[in-house]
Amino acid sequence: MSSDAQIRAPSPIQRLRTVLFSQEGILFLILVVVVAVLAGRSDAFFTPRNLLNQGRLMSEVGLVALPMTFIIITGGIDLSVGSILGLCAVLLGVLWGGLGLPLGLVLVLVLLVGVLAGLFNALLIVRVGVPPLIMTLATLALYRGLAQGISEARSVTGYPEWFFRFGQGNVAGLPTQLGLFIVMAILAAVVLRSTTLGRTLYAIGNNPVGARFSGLPVGRNLALIYAFSGLMAALAAIIFVSRVTTTRSDMGSGLELDAIAAVVLGGTSIFGGKGSILGTVIGLVLIQLLKNGLALMGVTSDATIIVIGTMLILAILVNNFIQNRRAGI
Amino acid sequence: MHVQKLTALLVTASLLGAGFAQGTWDGGDELPTNPLPCGTEAAPAPEPLPYDGGTAEGAPDLAGQPISLIDVPKLVGIGYFDATSTGIAQAAEELGNVTARTDGPTEANIDDQIAVIENYISSGEVSGILFAANDPVAISPVLKRALAGGVHVVGYDANSQPDAREWFVNQAEFNGIAKAMIDSLAAEKGEDAQFGIVTSTFTTPNQARWIAEMQAYAASCFPEMGWLETLEAQEDAVLSFNQANTLINKYGDDLDGIFGMTSVATPSSADAVTQAGLCGEVAVIGLATPNDMKPYVETDCVKSVVLWNPVDLGYAAVHVLRAVVDGTLEPGATTVSAGRLGDLQVVNGSEVLLGAPFIFTSENINDFDF
Repeated sequence: MSSDAQIRAPSPIQRLRTVLFSQEGILFLILVVVVAVLAGRSDAFFTPRNLLNQGRLMSEVGLVALPMTFIIITGGIDLSVGSILGLCAVLLGVLWGGLGLPLGLVLVLVLLVGVLAGLFNALLIVRVGVPPLIMTLATLALYRGLAQGISEARSVTGYPEWFFRFGQGNVAGLPTQLGLFIVMAILAAVVLRSTTLGRTLYAIGNNPVGARFSGLPVGRNLALIYAFSGLMAALAAIIFVSRVTTTRSDMGSGLELDAIAAVVLGGTSIFGGKGSILGTVIGLVLIQLLKNGLALMGVTSDATIIVIGTMLILAILVNNFIQNRRAGI
Repeated sequence: MHVQKLTALLVTASLLGAGFAQGTWDGGDELPTNPLPCGTEAAPAPEPLPYDGGTAEGAPDLAGQPISLIDVPKLVGIGYFDATSTGIAQAAEELGNVTARTDGPTEANIDDQIAVIENYISSGEVSGILFAANDPVAISPVLKRALAGGVHVVGYDANSQPDAREWFVNQAEFNGIAKAMIDSLAAEKGEDAQFGIVTSTFTTPNQARWIAEMQAYAASCFPEMGWLETLEAQEDAVLSFNQANTLINKYGDDLDGIFGMTSVATPSSADAVTQAGLCGEVAVIGLATPNDMKPYVETDCVKSVVLWNPVDLGYAAVHVLRAVVDGTLEPGATTVSAGRLGDLQVVNGSEVLLGAPFIFTSENINDFDF
């Protein structure tokens, strides 16, 4: 076979190899091995009930991890998502329980606040050129402070029954929030792979100056994804409040780290320009199932986080090793 | 001139203070009080309330059979919950037919705690859950799922909603803490001691409740005792230290004692008294954890630290859960037998009272590490 023919039509084996040795392929293999091992060690692990339950617990981090993938692909980061979640949760309680607004309207307002919080991040990042790490580190403190101030350390409870559908109910046999997450993940994957916006994000991550000089709307696209990040954090807040039936100002603390861990484990480069939604989803599922499976095996929580930290490092090392061999380095 | 004015002001202030002493102490709340009887007299059994806890549905009958428990504290790796785990292990060993394990979040985080409990429910390997809630409402849905799955649930230290667990071991009631505080001052400085209070804020619920109960108990048992002033210090160490100094400087020789109402105010007040060289002159009594107070107890500057014994708390929780499984503690019961602690009283419908608060003194404080 001539090399020209190879370029036009790679053989099925070569195609399989490309898929298998891609970031996502390797990660997926690791996931399969982990699931097999965990299922062998505990009868309670590989049951529909447990897996669906894990889907329920993972959806809030998952929703936030989708825009986080976009942002990290552009070379940015959003550390404020956990605080936006806390602020939105507290506002949900105060607007409904304190001011007595109808709950349906409150949900819309809360989503709007999430968008505004994200836009405020974008405003200073784009217009003033504050590095995303510093800007969102500042709003991590700012939004959390607002949440604490507004809540006055009080919780709001006693929501109507229909509100609990988001966090505790099922749709078509799936936990509501898992269904929502799957839909959002597919949308995000399509946007990233097949739209101008998606391609622009990679261009910004690879070379922000170049992207700007190519006439790409860098500022507008950044504003869009940070606003999307705020929106998803607000959505996660609604689901979280619905799941635990109360509001607290410390809700979502540490969420940003869980989301970033899923994104980078999924092969998205922290330097930008590289990554995928599929990778993020596999990373997310891998971390969640490891936590759950280890607990079911009888490993205590403090030991579990050690194992997960080690797994993160190993997965990234293995991936780097294989990618480097493929690249012939 | 200035000195005279100042003296006049001070006299007026203390007169005003004395006037107020007839009314409500600052920092107390307006809720009805329920002071305990004076001295060592036993409290009359309270009017039993109807049982308001939940039920483990379809739980297998394991009376006398070996059971396996999981203990989920607010977080693991801190001295306080190490102490409750120690008590839990002691009770399990003593009973012989209980295996207990502690596993909890590494941060006091509601979501992590819920995930830990979810996992143990899924594993199907435990017949009982002991918990100390990070949030009374947030933890309730998952506990209700445990009850619905036939798993017994007993809380300690921090409660959930009553119907999300069967029983709650209550470490101390407000009137019990109040009695222990006032009795300690009377024992140390006499029945006519004059004292000030350093609290968090006038509206902090627990502190306000304790202060109101202290006032009610002092009024009925030590009418000669004199309240000077309550000062707010949030839960801030520097502010607490300054406020304790304010009391020392303002009242001078009249001040016999300072009550610290928070675990921050008490050591800070002890520090202020030590630095003013008034150890022995001004008693410091308060709620605090032993480790913070050891330096002051060792120098004999502080004689009594009021809290509860977390080892006994964990120990009692295991006995309560075992009693539920064995059918010896049922809704409507008035007492439950808890090994070395004897019979514990049922209060508030579905709570088990650990007993009188524990007073840490130079004799026993080194036995504790939290």
